[in-house]
Amino acid sequence: MWGFVKNAFIPRRDHTDCSGCSLCLPVCPVWRQTRDISLTPHGRAKAMQQGEAVSVVAVESCTLCGACDPVCPEQIDLSGMTLKLRRQTEHPHAPALQARMDEKAAHPLTSQHAAAKWLPDQALSEHPELLARITDLLGARVTEDDGADIALALEAGVIIPAHRMQRFLAPLKGVKRIIVADGLLLKHLKKLLPAMYFVSLGEALSNHADVSHNLRATDLYVIEPRAYHSDYQRLVKHYDRLRAKHGCAFNLDLQRIAIPITSRNLPQRMGLMAHDDDAQARWALHGRSISRIVVESSEDGMALEKISDVPVVHLAELADHGVHVQA
Amino acid sequence: MIHQESFLEFLHDMIPETSDRTSIEPGTVGPCHVGSDALIGIKRQQTNPTRWIGDSWQAFADVLRENGIELRESIAARGTFATDAGGTAYGMPHGVVIARSAAQVSALLKAAQQYRVPVTVRGGGLITEGESVAFGGVLLDMTGMSRVLHIDTDALTVRTEGGIFWHSLAEELRRANMDYLSAPLNMTSSVGGTLGVGGIDVNSPRLGCSADQALALQVVTPTGDIVECSDTLNAELFQRVILGYGQFGVITEATLKIRPYTPLRMHYFYYDSLRSAIEDLQMLDKNDASDYSGILTIMDCAVNLLVAFDSDEREAAFKANWQARLRGHGEFGFALCIAGRYALRPWKLGEAWFLFRRKRELFPELQRAEYMRDGKMVDRTVVFSRAVWKFWGGKQMVIPDLATSSEKFVEAVERGNKVCRKYFPHYTLYLVGIKLRPEHKAHYEMSCIPPDAEDWAYGCEFEPMIGGHVYSRDHLQSFKNAIYDIGVDLGGSYYRFGGMMKGYIRRVFGDEVVDRHLAMKRRADPAMILNRDVIF
Repeated sequence: MWGFVKNAFIPRRDHTDCSGCSLCLPVCPVWRQTRDISLTPHGRAKAMQQGEAVSVVAVESCTLCGACDPVCPEQIDLSGMTLKLRRQTEHPHAPALQARMDEKAAHPLTSQHAAAKWLPDQALSEHPELLARITDLLGARVTEDDGADIALALEAGVIIPAHRMQRFLAPLKGVKRIIVADGLLLKHLKKLLPAMYFVSLGEALSNHADVSHNLRATDLYVIEPRAYHSDYQRLVKHYDRLRAKHGCAFNLDLQRIAIPITSRNLPQRMGLMAHDDDAQARWALHGRSISRIVVESSEDGMALEKISDVPVVHLAELADHGVHVQA
Repeated sequence: MIHQESFLEFLHDMIPETSDRTSIEPGTVGPCHVGSDALIGIKRQQTNPTRWIGDSWQAFADVLRENGIELRESIAARGTFATDAGGTAYGMPHGVVIARSAAQVSALLKAAQQYRVPVTVRGGGLITEGESVAFGGVLLDMTGMSRVLHIDTDALTVRTEGGIFWHSLAEELRRANMDYLSAPLNMTSSVGGTLGVGGIDVNSPRLGCSADQALALQVVTPTGDIVECSDTLNAELFQRVILGYGQFGVITEATLKIRPYTPLRMHYFYYDSLRSAIEDLQMLDKNDASDYSGILTIMDCAVNLLVAFDSDEREAAFKANWQARLRGHGEFGFALCIAGRYALRPWKLGEAWFLFRRKRELFPELQRAEYMRDGKMVDRTVVFSRAVWKFWGGKQMVIPDLATSSEKFVEAVERGNKVCRKYFPHYTLYLVGIKLRPEHKAHYEMSCIPPDAEDWAYGCEFEPMIGGHVYSRDHLQSFKNAIYDIGVDLGGSYYRFGGMMKGYIRRVFGDEVVDRHLAMKRRADPAMILNRDVIF
């Protein structure tokens, strides 16, 4: 009740409130790579303030890492603003995504009851051994419906049919604890089911004693940025406690914003354009003296393995004393 | 119904040739062409510059494109730069160019000279008087040149491109366990922009302003020459570009002094008198008693002197020799003073409530756990910059300031404080000293450093907390004028004397100095295209 009353009096902020302070620029991976303001939240907000249509390139360029959201002093939901623009943009692959969601919705689910469930992301699904290890550690059942099509539709701004969403959410209702690997999906699930307890895979694993116990002072711990930025005020304290306890470094900049490793724009996410994560990964590692990299996201792990000469392990693998190098 | 084009033609025709659209001599402040006779007996001057009409734009644009320079002319691209952090000056360029290299900037300026197209250079865009707003012509966005080129940890220098934000520079330096010396407490100020106007940090009383940290520059002159300059190489250009308000060249690269990074331990002392706090601040500066010092007020009866240290040794020396001499209180002692003050003045409880609320909101922001390690602040610029934008930021900001010699500073602040009280219910004063470098005297002429300052100059920003209030532009301008009149009276200077405040330049510096600089400008920039109308 109090939450409702409190939120009712918080004015909703949008692009009209952008004062042009540019604080969103230094944390934006797209700006870092292009130095082109028009491709950043600042540029999109300012274009809209002029009553202009934001170009498709500018709308699609965002990687939705969410780094801009916690640094905006006007508290504008900047990634939400970009998603809204995407919903207004006609996407050529919308029919294919819709068909994929329709197909999934038609597939019947078996009834699975569990106190805790978890939703792996696309990249984890490709590593069955790691998937099994995480399932074992979390003591949670993998959901039959991983919602990967929904995550992609959310990213592209494609409307999700009600019957598909219903089919996805129904098995989650009544579950006490739901762990989500995809940060964007996590953010939206929290909004869709506010009464339920959702937690990111990174937070869940890093709270596990067998895992955190094996963090070392010479580790670089790579936080998955989407989940982190969507719950920044709380999670910045969580990771600061980990730092204080174990002494490890994080992929955080001076503002304590997570530097994304895999920063992919919409065409790259849709597989329409080749992605190159090297520059971001190199920046995250630049000047650091570390003996091991620990990742929350296996996608980040793969990108870092390409350029790093120290072992890269998934957080879950730390429970095996952190010696197993990800394949 | 009037079509936009015919309406613009109508406006164009309405402007009498005498008050002139195009022929106002650069270097003079023209009459207000909207209502030059609107006030009986008082000559109105224009504040925003006249918009450049756009003659020869197309030919100029064609030349840029032939040279492979990307020129953006969409409303979305131009509108991004329609105003600055002040939000009171609005103007649109004809096109935007993102700076990519010195060679590209050079080609742009050569073409601009040939076609007499104004070029307005913008870094972080954090100035407030419209200095980086383009009223026609090209807007050159320097943030496109944001690379750190080389960090030399032995020589303690960094070579960087001029468009980089100080914060982005800090991010790179910290990976080498280094830090810059002094920079504005605002993360998105650009290096090039700051070197052109000053740059003040809470360590400026010890290390000087940011502009004094520059060892060498690569500058593209208004005629497009790419020149390296320093105190020993092309020294005259170096003198004019540093603190030169962007009149004598575009800073494309800079070599700056750096130092090993240290976290700092902060101490706060609270005063109920501006005068006592300023006297104590100056006493600390004069005796090199702290590494950082400055004053931030919540109200003029709640004045916060902050003192900080890079090392435990310096902190211990301060505690042993200087702390007892300060007249400020600790937090608890000051709370008792304030309680006593308002117990005797119950009709001012609203003020007490404001103080309490402000303290409750602001102070935790300055001590967030993630920016502290073992009681030390690890990222002062992040902490202060976030607080500045969160508590003082907004779509409109006016921050008039005064810079004076040490001797005149108390009077300047007290008089400015009275002006603030008259115009706004709540405001903040930010006061800091600047250690001067005698060998840089030539840099300081016609800059934010007051001509009579020796050893230290002192600056005070007067920042009203506008919040959700709406003030007319006239109200804000009158406020700024009232503050700036004090500067004229005292023979001081200002940090922000360009743009809408340029009417004060001749009053405060005198015709002889301004005409000499104007003559130099005309020699360096024959078509007067670079940052025109900003100060001349």
